[in-house]
Amino acid sequence: MSSEFNLKSEKIDDVLVLTTAGYINNVGGEKIAEEFEKHFSDGIVKIVINIAESNVVNSIGISYLIEIIEKLNDSNGKLIFTNMEPAIEKTLTIMGLFNFAGKAASVEEATKSF
Amino acid sequence: MKEKIELMISLPKIPDIELVALEGMDRMANHLGITDGKIGEARILITEAVINAFEHSGANKPNVLVEYEMTREKLIIYIRDYGKGFNPDDVEEPDIKEKMGSTNKRGWGLKLIKTMSDDLTIESDDTGTKITIVKNLV
Repeated sequence: MSSEFNLKSEKIDDVLVLTTAGYINNVGGEKIAEEFEKHFSDGIVKIVINIAESNVVNSIGISYLIEIIEKLNDSNGKLIFTNMEPAIEKTLTIMGLFNFAGKAASVEEATKSF
Repeated sequence: MKEKIELMISLPKIPDIELVALEGMDRMANHLGITDGKIGEARILITEAVINAFEHSGANKPNVLVEYEMTREKLIIYIRDYGKGFNPDDVEEPDIKEKMGSTNKRGWGLKLIKTMSDDLTIESDDTGTKITIVKNLV
């Protein structure tokens, strides 16, 4: 099990799609937040995070995502999580994230739902 | 006869060492033929419990001891630190509405452990804390 974390960033029209691979810990969370900030400062407020290739997360990493959600909600934007494995979806549900963020089965479904 | 396997690991405080604990659990599950989907929540429980043990133990030499007893039906996880202990009743329950707008977005570990475990025991005093988590796998 590797602690390596990779992030792919892609724009689909006015939607930023961030695809993670590996452990979303403090390092992974910070990388996601940094990439988000680059685009948020350019006015991008529709974000998709595809976590299909991250089967381990921790609450410290997720705390960075809460910060992103907060900024988006303050800017009439939205974050949608996709491709979550059940345990990760349950984790985010327990933390209450889906009161403020969306979820979708796929990136395609998410981009259509904004 | 039900096969039960056990593992004991002493973890030093180095970055991402919780992944070593997860690797051990994954290998035990693989040996017993337990599918990946059934241990997803156990991964979250172990990760949060180990991180909490290191963060809150307050010990000068904060090695954390992790033990597992696993059958095809059940995983019992013991996490032991040698810190100053804590009173679980003093830990404030995090609320996402309060976290929004707060500078402190953390503090979710115990809530996740309480909610995802099938049984949880916390024994804590000034010599350290032992957390026993039961996770059913069927």
